[in-house]
Amino acid sequence: MVVKKRDSVSEERLDRLGRGLVRASAMNEAEAEAAASSGFLYARLRSRIKQSEEREGWLVTLRVFWRAVPAMALVAVLAVALFISTSLGAGPSDVAGDESPLDMTTEGVVFADARNMSSDDVLATILNEDEQEASR
Amino acid sequence: MDETVENSAPPAEDVAAPDDARLVGRVVAGDEDAFEELFNRHRRRVALIASRFFRRREQIEEIIQESFTKAYLALADFSNERETSFAAWLARISFNTCYDELRRQKRRPESAMSEVTEDESEWLKGQLRAEGAGDDVEAATVARDLAHKLLSRLSPEDRLLLVMLDVEGLSVSEIAEINRWSVSKVKVRAHRARASLRKVLGRFL
Repeated sequence: MVVKKRDSVSEERLDRLGRGLVRASAMNEAEAEAAASSGFLYARLRSRIKQSEEREGWLVTLRVFWRAVPAMALVAVLAVALFISTSLGAGPSDVAGDESPLDMTTEGVVFADARNMSSDDVLATILNEDEQEASR
Repeated sequence: MDETVENSAPPAEDVAAPDDARLVGRVVAGDEDAFEELFNRHRRRVALIASRFFRRREQIEEIIQESFTKAYLALADFSNERETSFAAWLARISFNTCYDELRRQKRRPESAMSEVTEDESEWLKGQLRAEGAGDDVEAATVARDLAHKLLSRLSPEDRLLLVMLDVEGLSVSEIAEINRWSVSKVKVRAHRARASLRKVLGRFL
């Protein structure tokens, strides 16, 4: 208990000394007056304000770009993705039956029918025609 | 009585210097002379606040310029009638500017803390042993240099608070208003700041 009382006394002394030191550190009125009376202080202030206003103007423009560019990029990406998906979707369609739309061979000959006739089919067709003529 | 003579006399309030709020209104409307008038009225107060934390004239000038620049750019906030006193509002800006500068100085690696000399340490011990310890400290010329060395070891928050309490003599509620803190937060921080200062002093005693 005696030790505690001694501690509180020394704490009190330290606090009082600390307060005195804080006040001592702040005794600087001469420098304050010299600074406040400094020549061209207001002119320098005006120049500083003008620079700050210009900087603010640039910052606002930058902020607008910062927000607008990603948004525009996103729109562009979406547009390209849509374009690609529609292009892929319009590719060659599956042929359900034998009849296929007109197609181009490498030689430029158009076959209306997808089926290629074999030589046997051609011979059979010719023989059929000959028999029909003979029977007439 | 001639009524025209009576009616043409200007009202008393227009003859007297316009108050701060009126000047602010004129600045917002574009009158630069009004801002110069505000500057001339309040620059000494701002310089005094800055001198609580900084010793060199260039540092104090820097704080004056920075504080008034911030005030100019934020005048719309004041004129929105949220603030009652331009002087109090400007003081708040000045304290915050000092705080920002203290933090900047603390972050710089070249801002090494000056060592306390043997003589200064002995002087401190003598002060503590003396019956009226701390009563006459500020009168001692050695105290100013030593005080700056010791206070530079505190955090910017602690230093700001101690100056507001012990030098400016602000009340807890006034400090709460300036820093936008609650009253209980001010009390807790003040307690911690004093403990920090005791710890700093204790190292040299």
